[in-house]
Amino acid sequence: MQAFLRRTSTYCVALAIAIVVNFVLPRLMPGNPVDSMIAQMGQRATPEVVAALRARFGLIDQPIWVQFGGYLKGLATFDLGLSTSYYPRTVVEVLARPLIWTSFLITTTILFSFAAGTLLGALSAWRRGGKTDSILSPLAFVVNSVPPVVFALTTLFVFGVLYRLAPVSYAYDPNLDPGLNGTFLLSVAGHVVLPVLSLAPYLIASFQSTMRSSMISILNEDYVTLGRAKGLSSAAVMFSYGVRNAMLPMLTHLALMLGSIFGGSIVVEVVFNYPGLGMTLFTATLAHDYPVIQGQLMLMTLITLGTNLLVDIIYGLVDPRLKGATS
Amino acid sequence: MSFLLHQKKAVLGIAILLVLFVLAAFAPIIAPYSPEQRVARSHQPPTIEHIMGTTKMGRDVFSQFVWGARSSLSVGVAAGVAITILGTVIGLIGGYIGGWVDRSLDLLTNAVLVIPNLPLLILLAAFAGTVGPSVIIVIITLTSWPWGARMTRSQTLAIKNREFVIAARMVGESKFRAALVEILPNLLPLIGINLIGSIIFAIVTQTTLEYLGFGDPLHVTWGTMLYNAQNSSAILVGAWWDVAAPCAGIALVGLGLALINFTLDEIANPQLRSGPALSRWVRLTRERAKALEAKR
Repeated sequence: MQAFLRRTSTYCVALAIAIVVNFVLPRLMPGNPVDSMIAQMGQRATPEVVAALRARFGLIDQPIWVQFGGYLKGLATFDLGLSTSYYPRTVVEVLARPLIWTSFLITTTILFSFAAGTLLGALSAWRRGGKTDSILSPLAFVVNSVPPVVFALTTLFVFGVLYRLAPVSYAYDPNLDPGLNGTFLLSVAGHVVLPVLSLAPYLIASFQSTMRSSMISILNEDYVTLGRAKGLSSAAVMFSYGVRNAMLPMLTHLALMLGSIFGGSIVVEVVFNYPGLGMTLFTATLAHDYPVIQGQLMLMTLITLGTNLLVDIIYGLVDPRLKGATS
Repeated sequence: MSFLLHQKKAVLGIAILLVLFVLAAFAPIIAPYSPEQRVARSHQPPTIEHIMGTTKMGRDVFSQFVWGARSSLSVGVAAGVAITILGTVIGLIGGYIGGWVDRSLDLLTNAVLVIPNLPLLILLAAFAGTVGPSVIIVIITLTSWPWGARMTRSQTLAIKNREFVIAARMVGESKFRAALVEILPNLLPLIGINLIGSIIFAIVTQTTLEYLGFGDPLHVTWGTMLYNAQNSSAILVGAWWDVAAPCAGIALVGLGLALINFTLDEIANPQLRSGPALSRWVRLTRERAKALEAKR
């Protein structure tokens, strides 16, 4: 319970940092961003919009803590402000649809790379020192050191442009009407292939190295030796005794990785013009749409923290040893 | 250093990095053209005059690659060093002093660790406007120190109650001196791993930020090369060399550093080893098992 409380307070601090950064940055900005945003909006900048923007950027005649209180109140009611480039839509409205696409993209990627990484990691731990291991393990280190943008551009060129194996832009064929029919779903599936392939190597490598070290320490446990001594088949020892127990740290690792998965998806979405959060963030930065950029960080932080909390709860349920443990 | 030279992987890694660093250091001599001048027609495939082809603007890709190596590597190394120093100091202070200082530093470390890094960096970069190399170094450092701090802290906790540290304190060494002279040298392998990991991370992050358009487009780095290539749709019109050059550069730095880090990691955690010594051991046990089998 104490460990759970400590982790929850960590998440609260993380949330507080994200909130404070979001609140303070616009007030530190040199020059007068509001004027340029209003100029960009032209006719659409009604007095209400101007007032809302000025409030957001701290250009109103109020003490700072009153402003902060107003900001917190907005956050609590999921009011992240107005988008300047998509006015009159609010930030929440602008981010809602891309959130669905990004969730789809990263869930597919995570399922695929978690399975592949766990399997490869378990295999290289099982064959530690063998040929498989001496190729797989350094490879994971190397793949982990290459940014997703390099994988994305290579995938785009080789599979998208050179061999034209899969579509390279957008999330579905724009000539189709979105709907729950076979053609549309097939188009969606086809369009997600290359983004997933670009995002996956980095994740597979990272899951693989975590699984390998977790599995190696499990394989040294007495119960594994017992399993072998009982005469169980290698596969039974490897999967029911090894992999099953080595999976627990993988959950924590997955939750911790979520932040960098979001980071990777931003790049991959920009390369493949995928209409998710990353693409929205990219267009928002081009248009200097600061409220959307801020909303993005809040949203991604909230999702990451939520997932971490969920993993902590699952962890407590799955691993009874942790109940009442202090560290 | 000498122990690294006995490891094939580390030697390969060091060799790759040496070549890139020599390119970077002697960029003005090696680059055949100015990286910012139009020297040929646009999007020419590689020829003898332009061994990596030309960009849409008719600039020589090889010259840009060499000058890009200079700024990408220097930003990467500078940010990597800064991240390592900050992480080591925070981890060492927290782990050694303990108490509420440790609790609050640890809380801060874990909190910054769970905030999505790239979205935070993008927010900082967006509010800073167009960012030159020094601003990139600062914002990468401010957001990326927690990994190192966490590693350093747990290692410090493991060392600080060992006999030699307690003995040093009993002899009357100050806490400050004990941390610096007794503990810090024992953290060196870890600091090495942290430094190399941080350099990799810094180069990856810098490239990503610049690719997304946050860099100074007039400053030639591998990241801005990618950005310019993307803007001129180099891949879609088939000018692969424009993208391949910076990608290869980044991948090579990653490869070189990863090979060194892999070796360091194996030295620091013998349990995870997969190198030649272990292969030999595996072979011997297998042979022995076969011999036993044959006897029966």
